[in-house]
Amino acid sequence: MTVWRILTITAFFSTVLPSEVIGEYSIDNRYFFNEATQGQDKSHTSFTLSPELFIEEGERIIHIKPKFRKDNKDSKRNLFDIQELYLLEIFEDKEIKFGISKEFWGVTETTHRVDIINQTDTSESFDGEDKLGQPMIKFSYERDWGLLDIYTLIGFRERTFAGQDGRLRFVVITDTDNPLYISSAKNKRVDFAIRWSNYYDNFEVALSHFSGTTREPRYIASEKKLNKLSPLYEVIDQSGLEMQYFFGSLALKGEFISRSGQGDRFTAATYGFEYTQVGILDTRLDLGWIIEANHDDRLVSSPTVLGTRLTLNDISDTQILSGLTYNERSEEIGFLLEATRRLGNCCLVSIEGVYFDDINEDNGERKIFQSFKEDDFLRIEFIYYFGE
Amino acid sequence: MSRSNYIFFKRPIALFILAMTLILSGGISANKGLEIAKLSDKNNDGYGDSSSSMTMQLINRKGDVVERKLAFKRLEVPEDGDKSIAVFESPRDVKGVAILSYAHKVESDDQWLYLPALKRVKRIASKNKSGPFLGSEFSFEDFSFQEVEKYEYTFIGEEVCKDLMCFVIERRPLDPYSGYTKQLVWIDKENYLVQKIYHYDRKSFHLKTQTFEDYRLYKDSYWQPHMVKMINHQNGKSSILMFEDVKLNTGFTDKDFSQNSLRRSR
Repeated sequence: MTVWRILTITAFFSTVLPSEVIGEYSIDNRYFFNEATQGQDKSHTSFTLSPELFIEEGERIIHIKPKFRKDNKDSKRNLFDIQELYLLEIFEDKEIKFGISKEFWGVTETTHRVDIINQTDTSESFDGEDKLGQPMIKFSYERDWGLLDIYTLIGFRERTFAGQDGRLRFVVITDTDNPLYISSAKNKRVDFAIRWSNYYDNFEVALSHFSGTTREPRYIASEKKLNKLSPLYEVIDQSGLEMQYFFGSLALKGEFISRSGQGDRFTAATYGFEYTQVGILDTRLDLGWIIEANHDDRLVSSPTVLGTRLTLNDISDTQILSGLTYNERSEEIGFLLEATRRLGNCCLVSIEGVYFDDINEDNGERKIFQSFKEDDFLRIEFIYYFGE
Repeated sequence: MSRSNYIFFKRPIALFILAMTLILSGGISANKGLEIAKLSDKNNDGYGDSSSSMTMQLINRKGDVVERKLAFKRLEVPEDGDKSIAVFESPRDVKGVAILSYAHKVESDDQWLYLPALKRVKRIASKNKSGPFLGSEFSFEDFSFQEVEKYEYTFIGEEVCKDLMCFVIERRPLDPYSGYTKQLVWIDKENYLVQKIYHYDRKSFHLKTQTFEDYRLYKDSYWQPHMVKMINHQNGKSSILMFEDVKLNTGFTDKDFSQNSLRRSR
């Protein structure tokens, strides 16, 4: 039945939309191996549709990309978001962007400390790489001295969280209906950000500052609902530094932030290296290695991540990623394995397994994966791309 | 080779100078190899800027074919390597992915990859040049601009290639990260165009044969092959690269190859 519904929706969109519209439709099924702590289901399916229109005319670009998501179990995972809806005007060494867009900052692979323009759609995925569109006016200057981006961020997007029926969530549910703001403008506050970046041969550097509503809330007991946590969005000032240096096939990377506005000022960092072995064992396979360490003043200890990326360099662009997160102090591990492969010219399939383990449950340390300990899962995602 | 150069070499005085250069070089094969490579490289000069669409066919042992499409822009940079930007159009899952390269004559190139799904620009370690490009038999290295200064040359001899008479030169990459130990290059004597390259892998085994076809002359000075084939003798696979809609002097400037231009690709 669902398959028919998908086909109908896809067929509908491919006939109604103008021919320049392209997009993707995906089905994602997550199967959790263990019973949930609060009776949620083991199998969760979601559908995502994201049409896209990209018009480039001379020195002007218009980009429109909405995103719709429907989850069959957790209504808090349903989403309508405008990822891109902007007008970009290009001048000789300047650019002005008006509208909703996504902007990425950063150099590291596992945790993105500096990245702050867009809110994270944590309900979408575990890795925090899915973002919500942010309304903005962005001026960009590119000169010999580097690239300078100045942002005026108009309005605020709340973080998404899995709901009562969802998994991969805190034991106590986040009350997204009653967010708390420090600013009297609440989610209408106008925020500012600036970033300068440049490169000098093999060295790349960026400095940034953000002043506005934090994307990463703290949580306090909800006053309106019993046994729920309200996200508390405070006004912060965050300065960021990104650096990377290349020695042949080795890249050294680091991201550092200092933030004030949420209790005491604190610093946090992610740093490590990425190294790629091209043509391992005389084959056409490439193997990339990533080791990244974390530091966060707010936590007693932060995990270290070892990642590998095996690229088969075949016609299907098959890629296998693995990530092992280890927290020395709490003696917990998280392990991820993800394989991606193209099918024909239309589609992509991805299979992901995530496993959490607590090596020493009784060591008396604060656990970071406590909420997810029953949430080991296997995810299969199938993406169909429509339009040329 | 450019028309102006062609006329130049027809002049007896020019021939005399060339002959003297060869004589003075004492017939040292290294110098002759380098001279030929330099003359051949002139065919790549003077295009100013160009745009083209590239279709790449990947053919497996059974003869099954899959296609990849890219939009390609180049800007000639005087006294240095070129700037280029390649934007993927198909397959669909990589549509909008772009690679910005600043080639350099001697030092290794600077390369950035743009991933539209994450809106992320990622610097690539350009030393990783020996790996396959998009699953094809071409490596990143085969795609980058092969500046004369990046090789050491030896003149091997002359030989018929197709219906032309060719110089055969051997070149050895100076870059230790190259996937090749040496290459044999066939360059025709009429226009100094590269017609064929044998690529030898790290064990000095003849790994791949690359041929260049359908050369067309633009602006009376710039030769562009419209079909490049690469056959891999070890795995029996081959890849064909076809250039269409080649346009010169489209008016690109540095801003079309800037860090921002990479973020604009989708």
